[in-house]
Amino acid sequence: MTDPAIPDPSAGPQHDIVAGGSMRTGRFVVPGVGPVVESEFASVSVDLDHEGNSVRLRIEDLRTGRVRHLDALELEAVVWLPEGHLTQLLDPSSDRWRG
Amino acid sequence: MTAVPTTSSGTSTRYDRLILPDRVHGSLYTDPAIFAEELAKIWHTTWVFVGHESEVPQPNDYVRKKLAMQDVVMTRDKDGEVHLLLNRCAHRGNQVCDDQKGNSSSFRCPYHGWTFRNTGELLGYPYNKGYGGKNKLELGMGRVPRVASYQGFVFGSFAADGPSLEEHLGAAAGEIDRLVGLSPEGSVSLTAGWLQHKTRANWKLLAENETDGYHPQFVHGSIFGVTGSPIGALYSDASTAVTRNLGGGHSENDLRPEFRGFDEPMRWFGTTPDRVPDYVARMEAAYGDDARRRLVEGAPHVMVFPNLFIAEIQVFNIQPVATGECVQYSTAVQLDGAPELNRRMVSQSIGSVGPAGMLLADDTEMYERNQRGVEALQPEWLEVSRGLVRERVDEDGFTIGAATDETGMRGFWKHYKSLMEA
Amino acid sequence: MTETAAPLAASAATTARPSTEGAGPLGPVPDGWTRAEVEDFLYREARLADENEYDAWEALWTDDALYWVPAGGPGTDPLSEVSIIFDNRNRIATRMKQVRTGKRYAQAPPSHLRRVVGNVELLGGRPNHAGGVDLEVGANFLAVESKPRGNELWAGRTTYRLRRQPGPDGAAEIRLAFKKVVLVDNDKPVPTLAFLV
Repeated sequence: MTDPAIPDPSAGPQHDIVAGGSMRTGRFVVPGVGPVVESEFASVSVDLDHEGNSVRLRIEDLRTGRVRHLDALELEAVVWLPEGHLTQLLDPSSDRWRG
Repeated sequence: MTAVPTTSSGTSTRYDRLILPDRVHGSLYTDPAIFAEELAKIWHTTWVFVGHESEVPQPNDYVRKKLAMQDVVMTRDKDGEVHLLLNRCAHRGNQVCDDQKGNSSSFRCPYHGWTFRNTGELLGYPYNKGYGGKNKLELGMGRVPRVASYQGFVFGSFAADGPSLEEHLGAAAGEIDRLVGLSPEGSVSLTAGWLQHKTRANWKLLAENETDGYHPQFVHGSIFGVTGSPIGALYSDASTAVTRNLGGGHSENDLRPEFRGFDEPMRWFGTTPDRVPDYVARMEAAYGDDARRRLVEGAPHVMVFPNLFIAEIQVFNIQPVATGECVQYSTAVQLDGAPELNRRMVSQSIGSVGPAGMLLADDTEMYERNQRGVEALQPEWLEVSRGLVRERVDEDGFTIGAATDETGMRGFWKHYKSLMEA
Repeated sequence: MTETAAPLAASAATTARPSTEGAGPLGPVPDGWTRAEVEDFLYREARLADENEYDAWEALWTDDALYWVPAGGPGTDPLSEVSIIFDNRNRIATRMKQVRTGKRYAQAPPSHLRRVVGNVELLGGRPNHAGGVDLEVGANFLAVESKPRGNELWAGRTTYRLRRQPGPDGAAEIRLAFKKVVLVDNDKPVPTLAFLV
């Protein structure tokens, strides 16, 4: 139920509204290490690295500081990974927590 | 608490004694044993409204929800299918998701790193030699056994078998169709966020009130009076609107007879076509000659058993917490393809509903005083007889009463009784 | 219909809207403000709200007032997402008229209230649409609300924007242009909030 006669604030004078921010909106950038791709499960910065003779993607696990570079061919391989393959990589035992 | 009547009459069941055609017993709202039985026989059995597909628009989106006091995660998998997972790790029972929403193809429990797909399937666990290697455990996150949606409204049922969602919705499905039929694209989104209103009253007082056309002039007289609102008249004894028992515990206040009488497009929304020209043009393009009827008749006011209430431009999700407590989640309907209306629906919803709403705060005050009232021992019973003397059957076979009659409540109790006796 | 129908009509024509992104950084604290007078104003506003002095409380607001209590976090876009309260001056007036009827049952009888306002900081200057600069002030609050059915504890962060403008007698007085209240628990179910927070 509603009362359409209740005044509508969007009609009135305007104020600047300062929105609250969250890292998980993807609008958060760590100076020097780039934009952050984050969920409650992981936090990774992504940036382009121009130090080599070709550009590379620099990704950093912000929770541990571990960094990996991916070149164009490696990134292409990720794009072409079958879904099942990618899922296997998400198994905690597959690499990071073996044993 | 009100005492349960004990005068047994032969073969009658307990609920035969508590629920009569014209009155219901006060203990139904106060007895913790009845509340526990409702959880099992209603909330963990029948179809319960959870949320809307538009809340998880992208593959791997998820959002946390309440379903019959359970903490569930509504997910959309990579193939687009919607799942309802119980937010509990299969290993040691820890809560898996903590954020209210996010996007992830898989969830990793923070306790020991067990990782699940967003379908609930166990994907792996750290140091797998302790279990003899990988894929040695047939464990996953709990899943709500049945998930189905209608016009994007997602429902879950904890019963593995039972009536389909379409069978459960019955005639109420047509009211949801009416709502989406006000969108030029034929669909709605619930993307304006949810107000969460803690309510210290039994959930059934809310379910009964939602299509009670007797109270608005009294409970909402304060706001109708100061805004000069035309709403009050829709629920007067002179109103041509009807209260309809839709069967299955569902009911509606059908305001269409009033709006057809005025025959003014957009009157239901408190505006006129010249103020929302793009919307009217899009509706005419989508529905041709039928657009005008839709714009005259407006949105439904329907209570879908047990917990979905569509109040024209708001959607409510009622979830129980305890015998004397529940939560009202409310949001503004967003009609796809109608940006002119959507912003005002948000604004009007903020003014009307939620903890500070100029309408719902007063309804909630009544629910809470009502809960206190029914705890009194005498006179034991609550009346649901209003309109019995003038009820009739409409051309579609539904029982209807006048705008202010308790026809909807009687439909609610009839269905409630059938579930509690099952 | 009454005059309250007018803003509804106007809203269809207006294209201007508060911006969530456009709020620039705060400027320096504008000249001519003392902490003592700011605190006096905040405490007076709190006392008027506590004591349900509706007329005096309503008179504190500027004509372009905005009173905002977001839901579900610190607040995003109040025009596309629901808030607990999002009132312009006209809607504040409606809210006050409703409670003055004595039949706003959620506030009849009125709550008994006492709040403490503290951690007051003069944050900076915020350009307003009248061409001036409002003083932006932050503060915390803790309130106990006593109702017939029990007590509620409320807490949150309030952002005020204050403006000096001529009063009825021509002398400059402090008015409230903006008040945003972020409840600490606004991401959870909260009970009825019918008093002036």
